[in-house]
Amino acid sequence: MARAKELGVTRMVFLGDIVGYNADPCALIDRIGELVASNKAIAVIGNHDEAVFKDYRNRMNANANAAIEWTKSQLSASQVQFLKDLPLIVNEENICFTHASAHNPEEWNYITDSMSAWLCAQSSGKIYTFVGHSHEQALFYQSAVGKLIRFAPHPGDEVPVMRHRQWVSVVGSLGQPRDGNPEACFAVFEPESEVLTFHRIEYDQFTAAEKVRRAGLPEDLANRLITGN
Amino acid sequence: MAIKTDIQAVDDIFQEGKIVDGFLLGPEVHRGGMASLFSATKEGIDMPILLKIPRVGRDQPVESLIGFETELTILRALKSPHVPKYLGSGNMATHPYIAMERVSGHPLEDLIKEGKKFSIDEVIHIGADLAQAVQSLHAQDAIHLDIKPENILIDDKGKLTLIDFGLSHHSRYPDLLAEEMRKGIGSAPYISPEQVVGVRSDSRSDIFSIGVIMYEMLTGALPFGNPQTMGGLRKRMWAQAFPPRAIRKEIPRWLQEVVLRCLESRAADRYQSATRLRQVLRDPESVVLTERSERVEPLSFWEHLKRWIRAAGYEPSPSPRPSMTNLDAPLMIAAIDTRQSDEDLRERMQTTAKNLLNAYPESRLVCISTIAGTPTYEGKQESQTASGIVRGHLVQLMEWAKPLKLPPERISYHVLEALNAASRIVEFAKDNDASLILIGASHKMPNKVTPWRTSMTKIVEEAPCSVHIVRT
Repeated sequence: MARAKELGVTRMVFLGDIVGYNADPCALIDRIGELVASNKAIAVIGNHDEAVFKDYRNRMNANANAAIEWTKSQLSASQVQFLKDLPLIVNEENICFTHASAHNPEEWNYITDSMSAWLCAQSSGKIYTFVGHSHEQALFYQSAVGKLIRFAPHPGDEVPVMRHRQWVSVVGSLGQPRDGNPEACFAVFEPESEVLTFHRIEYDQFTAAEKVRRAGLPEDLANRLITGN
Repeated sequence: MAIKTDIQAVDDIFQEGKIVDGFLLGPEVHRGGMASLFSATKEGIDMPILLKIPRVGRDQPVESLIGFETELTILRALKSPHVPKYLGSGNMATHPYIAMERVSGHPLEDLIKEGKKFSIDEVIHIGADLAQAVQSLHAQDAIHLDIKPENILIDDKGKLTLIDFGLSHHSRYPDLLAEEMRKGIGSAPYISPEQVVGVRSDSRSDIFSIGVIMYEMLTGALPFGNPQTMGGLRKRMWAQAFPPRAIRKEIPRWLQEVVLRCLESRAADRYQSATRLRQVLRDPESVVLTERSERVEPLSFWEHLKRWIRAAGYEPSPSPRPSMTNLDAPLMIAAIDTRQSDEDLRERMQTTAKNLLNAYPESRLVCISTIAGTPTYEGKQESQTASGIVRGHLVQLMEWAKPLKLPPERISYHVLEALNAASRIVEFAKDNDASLILIGASHKMPNKVTPWRTSMTKIVEEAPCSVHIVRT
């Protein structure tokens, strides 16, 4: 967040899965809740957030389930209510934000290829769609034939994203990026200059992992923070 | 596709005398199918400016817009003395333009159209400069993909600039022309076989285009004509260009070898990097002559038929990342202190050089030695004259390299005159796009340790490439 401020970010968007992997769910919800309440941020719900108040036992692996059970035990009723009140999808004039895909968002489909990106862009109908869910950063762009093509962005490069074509951005995750690099992922969009920059940033993944361990969460979750896998 | 066509007619916004984002528009200097060019000035920018405005709006080709977007993305990212400087751009939806440095000079196209007969030396010179300009793009992971005489500006001093990046590719940005339905976009005479089948990520495509241009300058003819159909374009996948020496006798064999190698249908058979191409053009002795240099007649009907059948299954070679090609065919510099008498170090440096050369079959070694300067007043003996001193050093370098047993095309020797050896070595590495500098550090130099150390530090700090320090 400090880095985002440095970059001159005026509004933050949290694309879901606020809880479910980390050892600070209460602090995170309170912090994000504050930002949302003061209109400095928007947040959408992710599948792990939903798992806190819905029965997900058959839909997630043992580690994720264990983490959810632990998270439930930590949260207060009002914190759970905050998660319940999160919207599934936020649509603005040109931009759509959702956790998984604008195409049947409640099904939590992953955007991994041209087809899933195309479905998402078609459903959102917006110029820009931003999603999380998949942990790896990707930018899908509409080619001359309408098809969406996957591009692996290079961190820090300003990519011109002009309004006459559709773009679907998978911004990656703040922890467990799954690409072997433990650095946290985020992206900064500047609507006026039509520029999108994907970022990777170092954070103290060792402390984060230690907290996960101390909270008694599965060892694997802690390890993934450190290895980035 | 979702391209808006209701963009305000750009003609209303861009007119002589109007000011757009601080740019004061001068007269229109060119109007083409895809874009108009205006000269311009802006306070605070003390170079001539060119505004490129795409032909967008109703009834305009969609390509002009994609080309504009591509050029904007890539020009903005490039830094090269052979590319116009990017100076700003306007909003795509309201007033699209790209402002760039207005480079002086005339397109090579003009000279060709005038029917100029290029001397062999001129062709070699332009070819080498072109290779250098192209290398500056490849080093930044960009590929031009539309190298043609129209897009090459040459000024009075011979400085060469590449323009028009509307079809280019940059591996750090989304390729907006990828998977384009129409294959083989670009200029028919100059595009490579792999571009014909839609490959947009091979830097060796630019090498092919340089080959076409050199062929054209040498012979006045196009090696594969100017086909207007897909079938005609595919011909370059199997046909062999008519040997240039059959058209113009005075072309040296080595130059025919170089040009025909650039024109190989498989990218893997061409020079693998523009740097390598530049090196062979500047150092003809390093060219290995093959059957290509001997050709005097076109292929027989049967030979062509065989090649045609092979091409039916044409598979483009896998494309390496542009900036990596130079690493596969690296130029390595061994900085040798000929005054050095440390036998262990000498042996260790030789072994290191040998191992590195073995690892990269296409690599080359340049042995250099620096001397402080040659005497103005020459002595009577040969060993005291300038040429004698240089020759003496050359002999020592050759002696040094003898155990490596390298064929002559993989090694060369240079004695550089310089007051500051380190700066000169760094400069030499830059000029030649070297990938590695090999230097030795001895522990057996009690007196001269300090100056040698500072000079080594300087090389390590300022070298444009890796530096390998060999220790005993």
